[in-house]
Amino acid sequence: MENEIELRRVAKAYGSLLAVKDVSFSVQKGTVFGLLGPNGAGKTTLVNMLTTLLKPTSGSAFVGGYDVVREAAKVRSLIGVVPQENNLDRYLTARENLILHAKMHGMSPSSYQRRIDELLSLMGLAERQKDFPNKFSTGMQRRLVVARALVHDPQILFLDEPTTGLDPQAKRAIWDYFLSLKGKRTLFLTTHNMEEADFLCDEISIIDNGSPIAHGTSAQLKEMAESARFYEIEVARNAEEYAQAFQRLSIIESSFLQDGSIQVCLKKEGNLGTLVEQIDLRDLKKISSREPSLEDVFLKLTGRRLRQ
Amino acid sequence: MMRGSVCIWQRDMLVLKRNLFSEVITVLAFPLTFFITFGLGLKGYIQDIEGVPYAIFVVPGLISMTAVLGAFDDASWGMWFHRIVQKTIEEYRVNPITVTEIIVGKIISGFTSGVLKGITVGLSLLLLTGFQFTLLFLSVYLIFIFFGCITFSCIGSLCGTLIDKPENLGRVEAVVIMPLIFLAGLFFPLSAYPERVLPYIKAIPTTSLFDGARIALLTGKVDAFYLALLIASAIISFVLAVRVFEKKMHG
Repeated sequence: MENEIELRRVAKAYGSLLAVKDVSFSVQKGTVFGLLGPNGAGKTTLVNMLTTLLKPTSGSAFVGGYDVVREAAKVRSLIGVVPQENNLDRYLTARENLILHAKMHGMSPSSYQRRIDELLSLMGLAERQKDFPNKFSTGMQRRLVVARALVHDPQILFLDEPTTGLDPQAKRAIWDYFLSLKGKRTLFLTTHNMEEADFLCDEISIIDNGSPIAHGTSAQLKEMAESARFYEIEVARNAEEYAQAFQRLSIIESSFLQDGSIQVCLKKEGNLGTLVEQIDLRDLKKISSREPSLEDVFLKLTGRRLRQ
Repeated sequence: MMRGSVCIWQRDMLVLKRNLFSEVITVLAFPLTFFITFGLGLKGYIQDIEGVPYAIFVVPGLISMTAVLGAFDDASWGMWFHRIVQKTIEEYRVNPITVTEIIVGKIISGFTSGVLKGITVGLSLLLLTGFQFTLLFLSVYLIFIFFGCITFSCIGSLCGTLIDKPENLGRVEAVVIMPLIFLAGLFFPLSAYPERVLPYIKAIPTTSLFDGARIALLTGKVDAFYLALLIASAIISFVLAVRVFEKKMHG
């Protein structure tokens, strides 16, 4: 299959700080690629280089077969970008924001008017198209930014944390739309939402401190964590204290609180009984075994959680 | 080729049109206050200057000041706002247009805004003073305004590109732009300066604009030195604004 995006030993330095170090990978046409990592890992710097906003300090990158430095204008005609921030024009209405974008892509009114109607409807913004974005909720602004990136029907979409700030229903609608593009368009997604990466991505690269630390499908990455067993423990009280106490046990690889329950990674040779002995049975509500997640993979690889 | 510039200019004009009423009020308040306090308030105490009544003497300068300050403000704050606050420059940059098109679009917007503001104030002051002028004199005067607005729009864009803090943008206007305008003989003839200071004052581009424009509107004469200096200032500031923006954007 043809590569739509290709990076060859790309690095970016800001003075003495190396934000991206020697990164090489490729993304196949028609697939959804996910770049997973914590804040400051270098995800946005990578996206900025691929979308021609930043020049790499060394190495080369190609998007749609074009060099991002030497053929930047050609790259920009192929891509749609959803940046991390909602950089909408607050002095233009929602519709005018989309029209300006269409005009910059050289679209004629006959082609962009219908497309804009479709997108506003898809994003649930048709009724608010004459309003200014500063009157919108964060979620509505986000949907408008996504609509803007799609106006010119780009061949490649760069999505920098596209569903941040969206409610679950809107998030799901946008995910479904992205999924419908699979096979026809190439999507490059950065996220620290495990569920999003798991749901959308064909391939995932985990990045930390500017370097990829693992690469593969969601299932392949989860296999990396299979040398351990994962449990979710619910207690009636003192959850924080229990999580800390578990962490001190030699049989425990990691233990942390998430959404009120304790997520425990037990070493392969560890005994669940030893763990349970630490809990006052009057406090114990539930212990369940679970599948490893991408969060577990990241934790296992780096010793840190994605959102700390 | 310049599709991006046209799109950005059209966007800026749409926003300007939408805020037309408040823009007109704002743009009239400042020069009219100057005209009332200096032109009318002092005219009984100041003799005619080189045969021109004082109230008429200050009119060309007030129109020029409104036009170039309009160009500077629109370009500097516009660029700063789109770059730092809205981050729309980043959005423009992921479209198939060049950074040169972006900066040229912003310069043309600043220039247009300056010219429109100058015309608004000009018409108001000409109605107030009943000043008679010939179309030939006016067209020569507009040549000076044209290059003045380009220069100040470019300087504004340059400031909006380089300055990140809004208070510093205000400081440049207070410490650099306003003194350059007032030194250029806005309210008094250059002959009031001591002989040894005059060559330095004449070398300031704003003197070329304000004194040159006044001479053009009142007498129809073109001072070739002034015009050449003004055109050179416009070219240099344009090249500088474009180059600095390109360098900043390409990191």
